[in-house]
Amino acid sequence: MKTSSGKIVDLATALSVVKDGMTVGIGGWIFHGQPMALIRGLIARGVRDLTLVPAPGSVAPDMLIGAGCVKETACVFISFEHLGLAPNFRRAAQSGTVKVLEMDGPGIAGGLRAGACDLPYGLIPDLGTDLPKVNPNGYRKARVQEGSRPLLEVPAIKPDVLLLHGQQADEEGNVQYFGAGYFDLLMAQAAKHVICSVDRIVPTSTVRQSARLTKIPSAFVDAIVVTPFGAHPGCSPGLYDQDEAHLKTYVAASRDQKSFDSYLDTFVRNGGGEPAYRDKIGAQALAALTSGGAAP
Amino acid sequence: MPVVPQSFAMGEMLAVLLARDMADGEKAIVGTNSDIQVAACNLARARHAPHLWWVSGPGGMTNPTEGIIRPAADAENIAVAQAVMDLPLMIDFIDWQVHFFDFAILGALQTDRFGNINTVCVGDHAKPRLRGPGTVGISALCGLSKRFYIMMTRHDRGAFVPKVDFVCGAGHMTGGSSRTDAGLPEGGPRLVVTPLGVFDFEPASKAMRVRSLHEGVTIDEVRDNTGFDLLVPDKIERTLAPDAEELFVLRRAVDTTGVLPAKFPWPKAN
Repeated sequence: MKTSSGKIVDLATALSVVKDGMTVGIGGWIFHGQPMALIRGLIARGVRDLTLVPAPGSVAPDMLIGAGCVKETACVFISFEHLGLAPNFRRAAQSGTVKVLEMDGPGIAGGLRAGACDLPYGLIPDLGTDLPKVNPNGYRKARVQEGSRPLLEVPAIKPDVLLLHGQQADEEGNVQYFGAGYFDLLMAQAAKHVICSVDRIVPTSTVRQSARLTKIPSAFVDAIVVTPFGAHPGCSPGLYDQDEAHLKTYVAASRDQKSFDSYLDTFVRNGGGEPAYRDKIGAQALAALTSGGAAP
Repeated sequence: MPVVPQSFAMGEMLAVLLARDMADGEKAIVGTNSDIQVAACNLARARHAPHLWWVSGPGGMTNPTEGIIRPAADAENIAVAQAVMDLPLMIDFIDWQVHFFDFAILGALQTDRFGNINTVCVGDHAKPRLRGPGTVGISALCGLSKRFYIMMTRHDRGAFVPKVDFVCGAGHMTGGSSRTDAGLPEGGPRLVVTPLGVFDFEPASKAMRVRSLHEGVTIDEVRDNTGFDLLVPDKIERTLAPDAEELFVLRRAVDTTGVLPAKFPWPKAN
């Protein structure tokens, strides 16, 4: 697809910038706006030794870890909520195959803000946790004036590549969200290269009609990939719910590495890309997620 | 865990107990996966605290009171909110400002004698027996809000340990004045609510103390299921069960689709 801005590209072109060993940020929040089509694309390409900096997430970091693409991951929060602990992350952390850089909300907030501002580190309050003990490079005691509250320095976070998912974009690359933006814009300001998947492309007149939905203006986006159901099995707020049945299949398949490899071979490493993935999930199942029927 | 079945679900009871302690005009924050917390705040708003203000930590929606309990991050909350704030702005008062929030309500894998919180790991961090989800905003909410509540949906020796394996939310730290000695603002845990009872912290030592036990629960059962010595007052109160009016408002105005009874029934007695 040729567009005036050249930002709308196919999945393979967008992901070609991701090299082994890079630091990759992931946006969204738990099951919301997980950039799964981009994650599946990275796994199909077989990238290795990534360092992940995920916003509080679920299946996106978990799948990359389970696929063996990750050397180390920051962990602010990685959870499957009511479906339990993140299965592949849990196995990797407990066996020590992936190094965990323990972080908290203030750590990622201060680190991203420093990254976005081109400052070497951010200052956050020392909240009396064990985080500095297990992640001494991520939390350093700051020198403060006598009588000041104790503070910690957190190094700037500047991901080489950031993966996001929004609901729709125009051809200039303005990305609109129908739900909350979470850390996505701050991460986009801090990252060196931003790839955003969207479920659909809309005319720029549609974007202008509701400009307040534009959470990621085009200046903060390098590449847009159009992937319907690109957040599946998570939800794309306002468009489709998370797929509880498939998430349960995923959790069951994650009981051991052999079983999870078989899941990946079926759904991700089959050479067919996203069209094949959508076929595997099935049109009826996907359509049901857009009905609102799965909402509580 | 010994539990006596009641005419209300465990989740409903925890929501009622938490709501009772909230005051009108207070400011609160609710995190991800927080059905009981949402119910408690909206129940307080519907009864005695109409100006309680709460915000969805991740999503930024304020006071979504629809009568349906949804995950706090869900976009559906936007249409029934009073405001929608962006997280990169909210971090100022979540992660840095002292005492912006009157309270937060936090769950945990483990808590201990001084109300410290662990959601990171059981066992050694480098090679944990159980890898938990992580800290997210718990450090800041325990450290910076005026008080917090610990809400445990299980009460056993795995969850109530002498000392948490990882401090991700500082409670009263090592007791006494250790929290403020470490430079943290005044605050810390006020109550612990569990399927067995309600607990508070003795003002001087800051050690966890029995405040009331739920109907049918004995002090021996609580001791058997707590991995440290609780302070026990001479006379142990009985928890005032949710009354008809509280349950009516909860079921007709706050949780009309029955999320709490579906997700938080009483645990099976062992």
